[in-house]
Amino acid sequence: MMGKGKTILIIDDDPDFSSAIKRILTSAGYDVRMAGDAREGMKALEAAPPDLILLDVMMEHYDDGFNMCSSIKHDDRFKEIPIIIVTAVTEVTGLKFDPETDGEYLEAEALLQKPIMPNELVRKIEELL
Amino acid sequence: MDGERGGNKRSERGFSWLNGGRVLVIDDEEMICNACAQALRKEGCVVETAEDGETGLDVFESFCPDLVLVDLKMPGMSGFDVLEEIEKRDPKVVQIVITGFATVALAVDAMKKGAYDFVTKPSTPDEIRAAVGRGLEKRRLILESEALRLAQEKIRRNMVSLVSHELRAPLAATVQYLEIILGGMAGRVSEEAMEMIDRSNQRLREMLNLIGRWLNLATFDPLRMAEHFEPLNLADLVGESVAILDPAAKVKGVTIVTESPENLPPIKGSRVALKEIFTNLISNAIKYNRDGGWVKVTLFKVGEEIGAEVQDNGIGIGEEHVSRIFDEFYRVDGRRNAPVKGSGLGLSIVRTLVDAHGGSIELQSKEGEGSTFTVKFPKRQTESEGGSLRTRVSEGFRS
Repeated sequence: MMGKGKTILIIDDDPDFSSAIKRILTSAGYDVRMAGDAREGMKALEAAPPDLILLDVMMEHYDDGFNMCSSIKHDDRFKEIPIIIVTAVTEVTGLKFDPETDGEYLEAEALLQKPIMPNELVRKIEELL
Repeated sequence: MDGERGGNKRSERGFSWLNGGRVLVIDDEEMICNACAQALRKEGCVVETAEDGETGLDVFESFCPDLVLVDLKMPGMSGFDVLEEIEKRDPKVVQIVITGFATVALAVDAMKKGAYDFVTKPSTPDEIRAAVGRGLEKRRLILESEALRLAQEKIRRNMVSLVSHELRAPLAATVQYLEIILGGMAGRVSEEAMEMIDRSNQRLREMLNLIGRWLNLATFDPLRMAEHFEPLNLADLVGESVAILDPAAKVKGVTIVTESPENLPPIKGSRVALKEIFTNLISNAIKYNRDGGWVKVTLFKVGEEIGAEVQDNGIGIGEEHVSRIFDEFYRVDGRRNAPVKGSGLGLSIVRTLVDAHGGSIELQSKEGEGSTFTVKFPKRQTESEGGSLRTRVSEGFRS
């Protein structure tokens, strides 16, 4: 299987969304860990760095994901870990951040809109690992 | 004594705005410059002077004044040109004109060009201080309302993103589960159940889409859009829309033809908005068409207007619907099982966007024969008339 041995950390405060994504990733052969907020996410990251991070934008605060992304990318221990930002918020809200156009503000490797098509997610992860 | 006390009182009231105010005096008469500077510095103003328009504009850039006193009659660049230029560079700076021959006509002309007030030559120091004091008060109000507007805008945007998130997140999580079942990742499901899940998935996705479009409409700010206007070639934009929609047209057996006169002047507008307008109109013309039908997009320039006609020979729209077709959520066929589904938002979005460009949109239609949507944009949009557009748009949308 493609994902064998690789670990993915999902940081999202929506347990339903996390558990749905976990199902997709375990089916694709990845080991999955979950964190329910930015603090928990940071702990999980420090305990054992994953191979890739799926990061929600709006958690406790509406910009938790952005802040967390920035601190990971400025931390020498973790900055090489690819991050996929996932969000249910559309560009309409003015929170239009795309790594392609806003790389300076959002240093993530990719951005995916919730809901995510399972094969799109798996393809994106394979591309980044 | 009485007179003096009166003077002090006035000083406390009107002159309190002077302290710390940054004032630029542009006048070719050194004496006037000095008199103004002296009168204003005494009350705590920071004053710079310039002896002609060009120098004045240079000083304007480096000094960043709150208020400019400008002589109307100067050799070289005229006071009116200076007024206009400063108004263009920063309309939030208050300008007062100095004139040796105060006629109502001149004052009115100056006001039209953006002046807030005028003082006549010669003026007493108190008269100058009074006028500048009022001007600085005005400046403070302008800055305060600007700050308030920005704060409100921030609150509104945060609010919208939160609402958007709260509405979309549960739907997104639900759809995510359905996708997993549909993808066979949650074990076997009967074919019947699979079909129902598939339908549920589609309906929820439509709803997600609808929330997105509705928010688009609710948060649309024509003033912000007008700030990003650029000269655009309508023929290119229509071409791009047609290229996107052509595959869908082919599936329906509909032919799209476009026609444009040579050398059609560009119009000033928002690329994203104009593309949304044409994509909506052409996509409707395809959706509400018949097998083997056609869509014809004709660009034109008539007098002072540049526009486009999107014509089809499809199912048309009944007379009773024509007047309401641009209303939000209005659908000609509101039945849930209507053959063609729409949110009823497309044309209301189109009209909002056309309005924001100072344009108009009209519909001519006959049931069973087809529809023609005509969009027109004023040609003056092609010239830089940001100011008048700003006013017009704000009157139209903010009331």
